[in-house]
Amino acid sequence: MEPLSSYIILSAALLGIGIYGLVSKRNAIRLLFSVELIVNAANINFVAFARYSNPPMLTGWNIVFFSIAAAAMEATVGLALILVAFRLNGTIDVRRLNRLRG
Amino acid sequence: MTCLQGLPTLQEIVNLVLRIITSRTFLEVVFFPGFLNVMLSAAFLTWLERKVIARVQLRIGPLYAGISGILQPIADGVKLMFKETIFPELADTKLLMLCALGLMLLAFAPAVAIPFGEGFVIANMDVGLVYVFAVLSLFPSVILLIGWASNSKYPFLGGLRSLFQQVAYEIPMWLSVLGIVMLTGTLNLTKIVEAQQRLWFVVPQVLGFAVFFTAALAELERTPFDLPEAETELVMGWMTELSGVPFMIGFLAMYTKLYVMSALITTLFLGGWSGPGFVPQPVWVLLKTFLVASVIVVIRGSFPRVRVDILLKTGWTRLLLLALVNILVTVALISFGLDWVWRI
Amino acid sequence: MPDIVFLTLSGLVIVSAIFALEARELIYGAVGLAFSLIGVAGLFILLGAEYLAMFQVSVYVGAVVVLILFTIMLVRRESGRIVEEEEPGRLGRAGILVAGLVALAVAGAVILVVPMSLEAPEFHGIPLRELGRYLASSYAVALVILGILIGATVVGGLTLVKVEREETNSGAAQ
Repeated sequence: MEPLSSYIILSAALLGIGIYGLVSKRNAIRLLFSVELIVNAANINFVAFARYSNPPMLTGWNIVFFSIAAAAMEATVGLALILVAFRLNGTIDVRRLNRLRG
Repeated sequence: MTCLQGLPTLQEIVNLVLRIITSRTFLEVVFFPGFLNVMLSAAFLTWLERKVIARVQLRIGPLYAGISGILQPIADGVKLMFKETIFPELADTKLLMLCALGLMLLAFAPAVAIPFGEGFVIANMDVGLVYVFAVLSLFPSVILLIGWASNSKYPFLGGLRSLFQQVAYEIPMWLSVLGIVMLTGTLNLTKIVEAQQRLWFVVPQVLGFAVFFTAALAELERTPFDLPEAETELVMGWMTELSGVPFMIGFLAMYTKLYVMSALITTLFLGGWSGPGFVPQPVWVLLKTFLVASVIVVIRGSFPRVRVDILLKTGWTRLLLLALVNILVTVALISFGLDWVWRI
Repeated sequence: MPDIVFLTLSGLVIVSAIFALEARELIYGAVGLAFSLIGVAGLFILLGAEYLAMFQVSVYVGAVVVLILFTIMLVRRESGRIVEEEEPGRLGRAGILVAGLVALAVAGAVILVVPMSLEAPEFHGIPLRELGRYLASSYAVALVILGILIGATVVGGLTLVKVEREETNSGAAQ
């Protein structure tokens, strides 16, 4: 079985990839990809800690349960917003979506 | 799980491969009840469908390839393999082939969890039921991608219709088996079959069975729910631009899914491998599965197509309510103390 | 030598994640995201959380990825291209630097500070009943709030994308 540090490093790497996407991408949907990757990194972390604690605790599983559901909801609303923004502005490039009106 | 300490020598690799090939799990996956069984059953189902539909329509069906046309699926396969694979010029060939293969893989995946006898299952998962549903929920995205990658109006519309339909009927499917889970307290398909030794679940869960059957028909895109393949409207739905070998893969995937869903209905509601002992248990599973498949085929020949808005409304509202009523009935059963019938 | 299954799954997760962000076509990116999420589900199975893995597959890959694909197909201009993805340039390089530093800091901090041993204890599986019991008793309020939130999300999403029609409803509303 892997030492816990492997899972922490994996989760941190996924977090890094997500942050890179958030910082440097201009397409709104790629930003959504990055957010999903960050949430999944956190979920891996939770489950790994739940497994490696002595005795294995169920709290990690419960948190991930709610996290997956909440992230799905957030993706839904985010995609609806992207659709509306595209309809009103003709673009989903976040550097051009910088007016509050219209 | 393999744990490779240091670099393995060639001798070790050869030993490992030999051990895997002769292991029981590998033989089960490749031969029975795995890959070979599923492929043969899917091919058999194409023949069965054409014969049963023919009889419903007062004709005879395939007659010349072998006795009573039993070799017709082989003839079809050979013909399709010799056909030229044509894709539209602007279609995404890589994505199309990847998704056709993915469709076949997804159609085969639930067969791994279906029990064919006491202890005779490829993967005895404690979450077997949820595993099957999770795999089934992956179909809409693959079909949408096939419709999109074809870069053409009709396949894309077919893919969209298929997506709407399958997503709408997922929820009634999930809820209708909740009654079974409440009665047995487990998600393990083997234990669910074992719990039906005294009385099959089709009796107390009539409503759940009806809802699950309808939802399965919708997931399989069979008439009366076959709008994505409405031949008079959409050419051939999302499969329009597939030809030759990719078409064969997609076509076979549809029938594999039919076989797997029929086997699932048998496992959940019709008692799985239970039956008188003069015939081995896997034969009972196959018999019941083909009976369910025949009923599905007869339904295809007997009902007209359902309009799309009625289809979606039924999936999202009416079947949902029926499934909830089924749950209430199950709660009533449990509170009257009648669930001892299904305790092992 | 580390476990080969863990290496394969983490490789799938990381490579698909990078592919999801760097692919030219958004659709390929969505497919890459789907593979990455399936890899995460595999890691859940490796960690003994099988039900969570199925939950992840059916919710994330079965629903969220479908939504993303659907949205990508709707957000198209007539020419078929959405937005020209230029090279990252200065912001991209800064992005890699920031991301790398953050990841390093987080990993280092957690590994050094964590108050437990880094080796895996004995694990014979947690029965699913415990999860159900937890959800029904300690987390019952959270579950109900989650249900209300899902309802609010559905209503909100539908309202957001509703197209305002100027003509009155014709008789074909039924």
